[in-house]
Amino acid sequence: MRLRILLVLLAFCATPATAQVSYQRIVHADEAPGDWLTYSGNYSSHRFSRLNQINAANVGQLRPAWVYQVQHPTGTVQTSPIVANGIMYLTEPGSGVTALDARTGRPIWTFTPMLPPRPLTRVNRGVAILDDTVFVGTVAAHLIALDARSGAVRWDVVVEDYNRDYYITSAPLAIDGRIVVGVAGGDHGTRGFLDAYDPKTGKLVWRTYTVPAPGEPGSETWKGDSYKTGGAPTWLTGSYDPSLNLLYWGTGNPGPLWNGDERPGDNLYSCSLLALDPRDGTIKWHFQFTPGDTHDWDANQIPVLFDSVVNGRARKLVATANRNGFYYVLDRETGEFLTGVPFVKQTWAERLEPDGRPVMTDQAHPSVQGTLTYPAVGSAANWWSPTYSPLTRFFYQPAGESGSTYFKGEIKYERGTPFLGGGVRHVAPEERWGAIRALEATTGKLQWEFRTHSPPAAGLLSTAGGLIFGGTPEGDFFALDAAAGKPLWHFQVGSEVRANPISFGIDGKQYVAIAAGNAVFAFALP
Amino acid sequence: MRRKWLVAAWTAAVGAGLVLAFVYGIAVAYYEVFPFSLLKFVQKSNARFRGDSAEGKKLFGSLCSQCHGVDGSGAEGPSLIRPRLSRAADDEALRRIIVDGIENGRMPPVRQTTTKEQNDLIAYVRALGRTTPTEAKGNARRGREVYDRLGCSSCHIMNGDGTAVGPELTRIAQNRGQDYLRQALIDPASALPSGTTDVSRGFDEFLPVRLVTRGGREIRGMRVNEDTFTIQIRDTENQFHSFEKLDLLELEQSPRESLMPSLKGRITEPEIDDLVAYLSDPAGAQ
Repeated sequence: MRLRILLVLLAFCATPATAQVSYQRIVHADEAPGDWLTYSGNYSSHRFSRLNQINAANVGQLRPAWVYQVQHPTGTVQTSPIVANGIMYLTEPGSGVTALDARTGRPIWTFTPMLPPRPLTRVNRGVAILDDTVFVGTVAAHLIALDARSGAVRWDVVVEDYNRDYYITSAPLAIDGRIVVGVAGGDHGTRGFLDAYDPKTGKLVWRTYTVPAPGEPGSETWKGDSYKTGGAPTWLTGSYDPSLNLLYWGTGNPGPLWNGDERPGDNLYSCSLLALDPRDGTIKWHFQFTPGDTHDWDANQIPVLFDSVVNGRARKLVATANRNGFYYVLDRETGEFLTGVPFVKQTWAERLEPDGRPVMTDQAHPSVQGTLTYPAVGSAANWWSPTYSPLTRFFYQPAGESGSTYFKGEIKYERGTPFLGGGVRHVAPEERWGAIRALEATTGKLQWEFRTHSPPAAGLLSTAGGLIFGGTPEGDFFALDAAAGKPLWHFQVGSEVRANPISFGIDGKQYVAIAAGNAVFAFALP
Repeated sequence: MRRKWLVAAWTAAVGAGLVLAFVYGIAVAYYEVFPFSLLKFVQKSNARFRGDSAEGKKLFGSLCSQCHGVDGSGAEGPSLIRPRLSRAADDEALRRIIVDGIENGRMPPVRQTTTKEQNDLIAYVRALGRTTPTEAKGNARRGREVYDRLGCSSCHIMNGDGTAVGPELTRIAQNRGQDYLRQALIDPASALPSGTTDVSRGFDEFLPVRLVTRGGREIRGMRVNEDTFTIQIRDTENQFHSFEKLDLLELEQSPRESLMPSLKGRITEPEIDDLVAYLSDPAGAQ
């Protein structure tokens, strides 16, 4: 009898053990393609699925398996869901979290956080999961840990004061013993930072400011007190290399946005990629793409990690398609610049120096009367994810072809308002277009492009089925052939696609999911 | 003894006065009793005063331009240089949006603004859309005769009559100022409306297209909608067609053209004035 009770108890104990998403499971995410355990699919941010049930031959038969309509339809759903053990965890506008049965789309629980009365945005892009806890950053700049089974709050900490215009829209990154979370608010005269919290207690382990204080290295690139409103926010999820034990995180533009008069210099570490030690947040190296930026060319875009041979030497690399229009490849151990080539039309840089520093043209700065410069303010690349396929070894980028007239204006810092000092005007709608571009990852050489009606604002997914999935602002969700870019399938979702696709598998069936409008769609073969 | 009474009486009177003042204060603040209601009335009257568009432009630069573009032509947010603000039919609706943002849309309230600041912003935004009404020079009744003589109703609907090839004109004056209407008559292609509805946001409307189907059939018409894979058009016979782009041999779009002929040289200057007057006030022609 006693033995039976013990066995029953053991059986119950065993359930939570198998349900846990351990750090090791995320490290080996590629080996369990049925799950989607971290924002970009794996720590290298490939947004690649090893599932191959859906392929070029049968993708034409892809059809909706289910649609989930969010509870609070207050703005486009931009979530990139997490899937673990058949449960999908997604965020809703207003920083809420919902868990679904990923096979049917039926909700299991919903968590709705308290929001400030006048939230700056309702955007949220996803959660992180570690062990049996789900983590979400909110527009009120809280970081909240939820029990994965029930949605009950484990802990809730204030990352920064929302009234000082800090807020969170990105998915946190869960690594061994750390929940790393970045902040938005760089265009409101804040000072950017990256935080790491203890997953069990919510205690702050470290904070690294992305704008150095007087006396710290890099502070010589700021004039006077300008660092206090220096921006350089960390508003998108970074990547991680467990073997080098380095975090890779992009930073946003310096403030004020369009007028650099009061902040002459490079303004470190704005518009940069940072490599940080996750133990204490130390910056191991940095690479700045756009020194002293005046075009809102954040460098928060997803850093993609891959290994390749460069000039006969095997190297560990990090690549990113920057908002300034260049595709960069760096050595991810040292930060050494290896390649930088334009992936869209650009008119601001004559060339890049051997160390990657741009030599600017006379069209490089906003002016009072306006300067037409390519690329446009936010569409060459942005938060929508690229994808890297280890099969084709291509880096796929949703690329916007457009220019903006950049104006310089007066600077006036006023708490609670955008810190801009100018503005932009886009080129005519008919002159804006876009493309999905396949770049040879190591060199950035264009392999193929698929034209889209307007600049895409949705991320890409590549799969072992030889497919690329993407979306358009006009509501097309589509599949291309990964090798040549040929369109193979499209589906009209009825609202703009402004999110990143994922793939997962349940009971031997592969699904592809995308958020669009007020809903999340899951597609599968009949 | 008597003095003590006096002190007590005074204390009670002052205390009661304070309590009354406090209660009245709360009532004034929360229940809008007189004179707070009067204050509100004064504020509302103030709100009727026209704002200063130049001041509004400065405010727009700091509060609105990040999303709506430095000149209102749109960036992440929609262009405001358009005939009709779908969520702000009148100035009070526009004021509510400035104050509260758009809850179910994507516009956050930016910061607290004074009534004067709101007025200035409203004045500037209205000027952007060229929707500020001005006195018509012409005669609406004569303008209607011109409208009928030219056969405008073969392409436009006015007061329920006509054919919808081009824009509906019944309430065009609510959306367009006289300068704009005049320009549209003289140089229609320069006045193609861009993105006035949720369907056409970001597109030129009434964009002329020419396409050739796989079967070799050529069709000319106007674009109704378009995405990466499909296009919807109305042909010159006003018939609707929908195509997969992959099924087309040719697809040509002419963003600098309009299917409407220019009236310049076809009618006299005073007749253009009359037509503008009619479009501005169709009821005035009755």
